[in-house]
Amino acid sequence: MNEIIYFNPVLLIAVPLALAFLSPLLGLISKKSVKYLPVAGFLANTGIAVSLIPRAIEQTIVVRIGGFPPPFCINLVAGPAGILLSFLIAVTGFLVALYSLRYINQDGEEKYHVLYLLLLTGATGVVLTGDIFNLFVFFEILCISSYALVAFFGHKAGIEASVKYLIQGSVGSSLLLLGIGFLYGRTGTLNMAGIALFIQNTSPGEMLIPLFFIITGLGIEAAVFPLNAWLPDAHSSAPASISAVLSGIAIEVGLYAVIRMLFTIFGVTELFPVFMVLGVTTLVIGEMCAFTQQNLKRMLAFSSIGQIGLILFAVSLATSQAVAGGIFQMLSHTAGKALLFLTAGYMILNTGSHDIESFRGIGRRMPLISLGFTAGVFSLVGLPPFMGFASKFSIIRAALSLGNTWVYIMTGFVLTATVIEASYFFRVIQVIYFHNNEKPGLALKVPASSLAPILLLMAVIIIIGIFPGILTDLLHNAAGDIANKIDYIRSVLG
Amino acid sequence: MTFLQNYIYYIASFGLVLTGLYIIMVKKNLIKVILGISILETGVNVFLISLGYQENGTAPIFSRIGLSANRMTDPVPQALVLTAIVIGLAVLALALTLAIRAYRYFGTLNLMKIKDQKW
Repeated sequence: MNEIIYFNPVLLIAVPLALAFLSPLLGLISKKSVKYLPVAGFLANTGIAVSLIPRAIEQTIVVRIGGFPPPFCINLVAGPAGILLSFLIAVTGFLVALYSLRYINQDGEEKYHVLYLLLLTGATGVVLTGDIFNLFVFFEILCISSYALVAFFGHKAGIEASVKYLIQGSVGSSLLLLGIGFLYGRTGTLNMAGIALFIQNTSPGEMLIPLFFIITGLGIEAAVFPLNAWLPDAHSSAPASISAVLSGIAIEVGLYAVIRMLFTIFGVTELFPVFMVLGVTTLVIGEMCAFTQQNLKRMLAFSSIGQIGLILFAVSLATSQAVAGGIFQMLSHTAGKALLFLTAGYMILNTGSHDIESFRGIGRRMPLISLGFTAGVFSLVGLPPFMGFASKFSIIRAALSLGNTWVYIMTGFVLTATVIEASYFFRVIQVIYFHNNEKPGLALKVPASSLAPILLLMAVIIIIGIFPGILTDLLHNAAGDIANKIDYIRSVLG
Repeated sequence: MTFLQNYIYYIASFGLVLTGLYIIMVKKNLIKVILGISILETGVNVFLISLGYQENGTAPIFSRIGLSANRMTDPVPQALVLTAIVIGLAVLALALTLAIRAYRYFGTLNLMKIKDQKW
């Protein structure tokens, strides 16, 4: 049959949302079958996203909800960047849902799966939307689900982390709403393309106040430097699968929202040096704090802060090559950090403790898991046959090709931070493989459904590391989608 | 005086926002901080609603035939505020649940003492 069935991008949001509402009903009938719904849902989402990629590249898909014309309706803008990120969310959602099949077996596990579906619905919605208040609503769905999931295990550390995260996140959301109110009051429209068109024709000075409120509000979720105090506690106290999704998806989606605001809506080119400095500061502080950690998950959380700083630095260089490098780094950070958190989950279950020193010799007891952890470390640090090398190299190359002395100095800081990152990660690898264990751990067999995502992520990291050319075309289209304001406005408003 | 008269709703909403922020930053009792979050969100909602106000405006409903739309207040901020109120309610419920659990574990609601995880 020659005609291809095209899915509507709304399905990417509707499928997990519908499953989230159906899960409690299914849970009334049989509690054990609820955990298969996220797996099925995100497998479907992956298929839908893959089928939409070619179509999104040739022309941005604009879905008008309700059928009204663009300035009046809420629209979804599924451009190359949006579809690429929703593909990333769907794949990560699928793999981590597969992992949680056997990892999460407490009472109330069906609530975990409902919240998990809602979290990823929110994330997909933020990435695909074209309306600023719709962004706020999906952003809130994402944040509130993550507050509850951080506290899921119900232990002391989780409750404390969730309280701190909730307070800071609520302040951020209120500031975001305040900024949106300013924008609506000034421009009269909530449509992102409409606001971008208006701001293009007015003086940039009066947009500083809404910009400040919106970036601060979104920056709390994206964990840029002064606003990231919640992150170490939240990511280290959450269940390992949720830490993987928070580090890999939630903060990156927050950063994507910041980037969308900066490039498309506000279009402030004079402020990019400020964001470059902010990115490098976040990177250096994240890596330095991670260096001093003894708790494995807390160390990984600080490393996430650092990587967000790196992505912000890459994107604030504002050339198409640099933005493509930033998006590539987003992909490789998700793959690497998810791999690290998923393997750390079982390593911690085996030794019963979060301390790095307690993982002595675990390389012999759990060879596959340790291999996965090592692959994740090498990818994140940026060693050659892995994906992280390709992404970091593209960022550094884009930075150096600008030829600006100030950028050279910043790149020097970035490379120094990478050296610090290598040092603390390699220390963990040394403890895992080269030290002997004094006491044997619990004999824990890792179930196949938890091992499969780890092996798949390892395969992805290695394959894309060896053939980064697979993604180059897609990344350039995505970078063009973000960096070109005029094309965005034209594709939505016509 | 006319400045105050024209912009009184905005001044009041910013007063609420600043009060909420002050409470969240300074107070140590968890319940007070949660109240501060609620006051902050109320302030933002009042700000949003006052954006849509028009002098002598009426409700944006076509309740009689022949009613014209230029004397109506803007319905979009009203929709935004309804959504925001519901979101604020959900956050408040979650926050209070966490406060109950935190009290059970730590025995106190003093945020300075709920600090197991530091550097």
